[in-house]
Amino acid sequence: MTMQLNYDRSLHEKEHRAGPFEITAEMIRSVNASLGETGPAFISDEGAKSEGFKGMIAPPTLCSIFVREVQLPDIGLDFGKVQMHAGQRVQPIAPIYAGDTISASSHLKDVYAKTGRSGTMVFVVWETTFRNQDGEVVAEVQESFARRE
Amino acid sequence: MFLDLHSHSVSSDDSRATVEQYVKWVQVLRKKGYTVDGMVLTEHRKFDFDKDYSELAAQSGVLILKGSELDTRYGHFLVYGVSEGLTRDIDFSDVRMDARELMQAARQHDAIAIPAHPGRFGIGLTEYIQQGETFPGVHTVEILNGGGRAGENERAEELCEKFGYLGIGGSDAHLTSHLAACMTEFRATITSESQLVDALLSREFQPVRLEETAKVAYA
Repeated sequence: MTMQLNYDRSLHEKEHRAGPFEITAEMIRSVNASLGETGPAFISDEGAKSEGFKGMIAPPTLCSIFVREVQLPDIGLDFGKVQMHAGQRVQPIAPIYAGDTISASSHLKDVYAKTGRSGTMVFVVWETTFRNQDGEVVAEVQESFARRE
Repeated sequence: MFLDLHSHSVSSDDSRATVEQYVKWVQVLRKKGYTVDGMVLTEHRKFDFDKDYSELAAQSGVLILKGSELDTRYGHFLVYGVSEGLTRDIDFSDVRMDARELMQAARQHDAIAIPAHPGRFGIGLTEYIQQGETFPGVHTVEILNGGGRAGENERAEELCEKFGYLGIGGSDAHLTSHLAACMTEFRATITSESQLVDALLSREFQPVRLEETAKVAYA
């Protein structure tokens, strides 16, 4: 009685894009205000330069805002009826500066089942790569959704 | 020697602890007077053939072995002595596999599969035995689990008393500071996964809590 996960496996190979998003100083300040971020590199060009950056940088979790802009398809998973957000992991790779434009590209990374006290759940994991205007990868975001029996 | 037989690193989907952090934590515990000789990384539903911790182990003096924790339709099972042959015969990602087939296949490949946290409510082996399932291949269970809720280790103890099972201990750590909370004391000296399997088959071991190893450290 092997558990087969049926879903659209072709989505592993497909990229879903969004952007470009212009990163402004005003946007960074707004994110800083919501996070309580006061680090010198995040609040002014002068502060950033004093820490070795070429200008004001965005907080590392800025990209998590733009993940929502990617229109992700239904993967057609025939398991469970309720889907819950199960976590997000942001991996900053390079600084994002005020004035940059970044683009997002998401693909289906993993679909797997696990069991626990509350029964069987299936996790759907999407990975989104963010690149700046030069094609440099600046961040990767993994987002998981869980479906319960 | 004292080994934590159940731990998860960042290689598992629900752990945030790196192996390097675990090693540092062992060194902290040693400075506090506890005896911790090493750990087995039992990652969920997989075996990390590509990961080699031998250099880290040699540098730190902490034994780092690899195993797996597999989901089955009869609860989770810790597997020690995993080989490529076993992963060919058993789909480690199949959460509905028959635990009896897993135990049989493990022995055929010189490995051993042991029920993890059998007293866990809703998913432990105890639940399935109560439903009438039988597991003649089981001789040892994880009687002492560091991740359990109140009453779950006691249920495992009752299971062992009823069926005469032997018990091992493991922290089930997913966070650095949880490592080694529960361990297994072996009479044998173990330096490899195959020696660990032999030691488990020898039945010369006992579960211990971290606090109990302090007596050894101070003796």
